Amino acid sequence: MSPERTAELVERWVRHYTRELPTPIAERRVEEMAADLNDHIAHERERETSDLRITLSILSRMARGLPADVSWRRRINPPKGNPMKRFVTIVAMALGVIIGVAAMVFGGADDAPGLVLIGIMLVVGTLAFGLSPALRSRSRVVGIILGAVVVWIAVVGVAGWLENNF
Amino acid sequence: MPPRKPGTLLPLETEILDVALSMLRSGHATFHGFGIAQSMREQRESRSLTAHGTLYKALARLEDFGFLSSRWEDAAAADGRPRRRLYELTSRGANIAEQARAGRAAGRHPRPASKPA
Repeated sequence: MSPERTAELVERWVRHYTRELPTPIAERRVEEMAADLNDHIAHERERETSDLRITLSILSRMARGLPADVSWRRRINPPKGNPMKRFVTIVAMALGVIIGVAAMVFGGADDAPGLVLIGIMLVVGTLAFGLSPALRSRSRVVGIILGAVVVWIAVVGVAGWLENNF
Repeated sequence: MPPRKPGTLLPLETEILDVALSMLRSGHATFHGFGIAQSMREQRESRSLTAHGTLYKALARLEDFGFLSSRWEDAAAADGRPRRRLYELTSRGANIAEQARAGRAAGRHPRPASKPA
């Protein structure tokens, strides 16, 4: 990858983490980074640094700065929602999953297929309910991954239950 | 980067102020992002430049504290390339940089005089 293509990659990342921020702040960061990347490439070319080393240097600067980029964004645009509500949701999800798994384990041990099915439904329902905000969010990739996990758990659980009982 | 103690500057922020003070004394009143990263690399004789995110976050904080001011470069001066954001050490920033130099031997971290602007 050429240094210019690498710079484009970095600029795409900058546009990503500045999305939905106030326009002046986002534009400033985007323009400042464009100037930095341009200066970086020009400076290294002047020193006759190889393209590979320039590319690696740009990638390294981007990768090492990712945590700072994310924390900078969070400082400017804190996550929305009531923290207590998020905490209660997480505790409720954990309880639902623990009770569901316990029902599956005890149901299996006591040869009670109904209890196992209730456990499966409880786990799937808890995950579906708890993760629904993420599934509805604009972060489609995260939503798709979480959705796939929920569907996978449901399919595996129901298939296992059917296999054991029919 | 180590966690920040309340009211202290991070080593990187102190380093930026120190390099900016050196540049000011050598007749370069303003600097830009890549320029300060390059100067810091030379000063510490390192092979790597400060990461993008770390550098610009630190510059923004120093500006919030009132130690740096910034403005856009004139489009004419940019001559076709992306225009730079030009930073300048304020008098408060210069004082802090001086204090940091004086206190470095004692291992003290400089403290901002007030909360961010």
